Amino acid sequence: MSPMPDTVLVRCPLADGPVLTLTATRRPRAGRAEVKCAVPDDAHLAGRMQQVVRLARLTEPRFDTRDQVVLSLDRRPPPGERGWELAAVLADRMVRGLLRPQAGLLANGWSDEWERGRVAGNTLGAASAAQPGDAVLGGAGLRHLGLLSGHADPAAAVSTARAWFPLHSGGDGGMGWVEVSLHPLARQAGQEAPDEEQTIAAPDQDAARQLAVRQVLGGARHFDGRALGRWRTVVRFGAEAFTGNSWELALVMADRLARGREFVPRGRLIASGCSGAWHAGRVDAVDGVAPKCALLLREAGPGDRILLPRAWQEQLPEGFAEGLRAQGASVVCVERIGII
Amino acid sequence: MLGFFKRAAAPEHACELGRTLVALALPAGAAPPAGCQAVVVGTDGRTRRLQAARRIEARPGETAYAFHPGPYTADLLPFAAAPEIGLRTSFAVDAPDPQASQQRFDLYLAAEVTGRLELAALAAAIESTLRHELATGGLELPPCTTLDEWNAFRQGLNQLLYMRFGVTVDDCVPVDLGDTHDYARALAERAEGQAEAPAAQPPEAAAVERFDPALEDARALRRLFLELPCLMCGTRLAAMPAAQEQFHRQQALLQRLDLVSVAVNAMPALDLAAPGQPLPAEEQLRRARHSRRACVSLDEAWALLARLRQAGEAALPQLYDEAERIVANLEADCAGRRSITAEGDAS
Repeated sequence: MSPMPDTVLVRCPLADGPVLTLTATRRPRAGRAEVKCAVPDDAHLAGRMQQVVRLARLTEPRFDTRDQVVLSLDRRPPPGERGWELAAVLADRMVRGLLRPQAGLLANGWSDEWERGRVAGNTLGAASAAQPGDAVLGGAGLRHLGLLSGHADPAAAVSTARAWFPLHSGGDGGMGWVEVSLHPLARQAGQEAPDEEQTIAAPDQDAARQLAVRQVLGGARHFDGRALGRWRTVVRFGAEAFTGNSWELALVMADRLARGREFVPRGRLIASGCSGAWHAGRVDAVDGVAPKCALLLREAGPGDRILLPRAWQEQLPEGFAEGLRAQGASVVCVERIGII
Repeated sequence: MLGFFKRAAAPEHACELGRTLVALALPAGAAPPAGCQAVVVGTDGRTRRLQAARRIEARPGETAYAFHPGPYTADLLPFAAAPEIGLRTSFAVDAPDPQASQQRFDLYLAAEVTGRLELAALAAAIESTLRHELATGGLELPPCTTLDEWNAFRQGLNQLLYMRFGVTVDDCVPVDLGDTHDYARALAERAEGQAEAPAAQPPEAAAVERFDPALEDARALRRLFLELPCLMCGTRLAAMPAAQEQFHRQQALLQRLDLVSVAVNAMPALDLAAPGQPLPAEEQLRRARHSRRACVSLDEAWALLARLRQAGEAALPQLYDEAERIVANLEADCAGRRSITAEGDAS
């Protein structure tokens, strides 16, 4: 496992332009409170921040009383401003190694239900459209903290899961994600089930990709047997522009996770693969072994599960699996989806 | 005179033993039902097994349990977020190990069971243990599990359930639970429930009330009191690390566990701040929360012991780090249970 940083900075953009900086540090606890917060000239707000962080920690499965986390804001936010709440929660998780630290992360979000991991919205208003693509904004962008590692909200009526796929098409590459949201399909008794592909939508995508998404999901659900005619599906992609079809496996796995028919990884699910026959559950090879493996080695974090096509088994670079294991991730080259 | 020959009446529900009931407290003088074994639990938590098919002779203050060794079958859901995939597990209460001074299942009965142990309750406890281990990374069951990973998971599960409950897993296979658990319907019901959410506020308040601090605290302290000595015994027996540094860590851990055990044995009463001086109700609630959280650490410690049993020397540093976390949590919660006010928040 990579050593945890002692200090994490998260920035929180506000609606009228300025940016708050939130600093989190970790030190041995030595009998002190597990969270300490400081806001210049505002002890009440510091107490509120401590409460927020403590509530958000209730959604974590393990607790560790050996460390104290100290959170501080660089200046006092405007009265009534609550967008820093998400930044505080993310900084608290990053400094303890629960989330992968990201330099210069922008976050804005507030919630009344931190103890359930819900994020209600952000305070940016119209300015949210001007934020860079990797900013974490509560509300439509992130409704539940578990979604940061792709997990569905255990209490929501819409099942949403994410899976990641390595991009190497656009020069520098990076990770893209695909998100599948499922609504149960209400059907009157005796009514014919609609065509599966008609129930799948991918807004903001061009017609070719919409068609591809529908065909992939339709095929993979056919393979699953118990999936047809039960769901209305919305598919969203994180990256704006990408080419190729190596996202297909990630889409299929996100769909299986969202339908509650797949074992859930502890961290993110990262997959690269396509198929000419999803209705048989087969996974075919894609291009770019070397750049994608290098990217995965840089990006993988504790608990991540990486799925690659079986054809890559012999082409993986030396020490790839061991390197990932040292980071707490695991990799497997699969021939078909499903268990074993 | 006829009383000599009268057979003791079988207690109520005794015929359910081995089906929906795993263990049942029997009145003194009754004979355990056919196929069952009997354990006598004293008030101090000591247990002894009785010879099969004999009349139960319990001394005053002791409770006699009859339990059916099984096998039992239960469908476990390893992930709350994946209700349509389960593990069909069949398990049995372990045959008595002649080397052990106390069988683990007897300790489970003594520490956590009052009156009767339903199969559903045992399966729920097993399921929550399994989920906790999967969520914290003690066991791995990732998507597209390979055969090797599945075998490692099975070994870990066997060891975990043996250490935690004293049951052995005969068989465990992944099953499609789509017939009984319809996720789409569950989501639709959730949506309907949320539409009525404003009216659903009072039940939540009632849920807070249902947490009875005195009862929860007594249960948790009983577990700590009975299980900590066995845990320390297990840690001493588990593995003698070869490396000098790990040996020192192990010794330091055992010493701290000793101190925790002493602290548990001398825990002040829940409702007293000082002799004759009552403690406010919200502080009692805080104390009960601490003792319940200490029980979570206790569960983690059993799971860690199961991993220690299987681990090689190479894995020891990581496992001892985990052990230090658990012991630190235990110490913090024992101190919290002991203190009469919440610690200073500002420090």
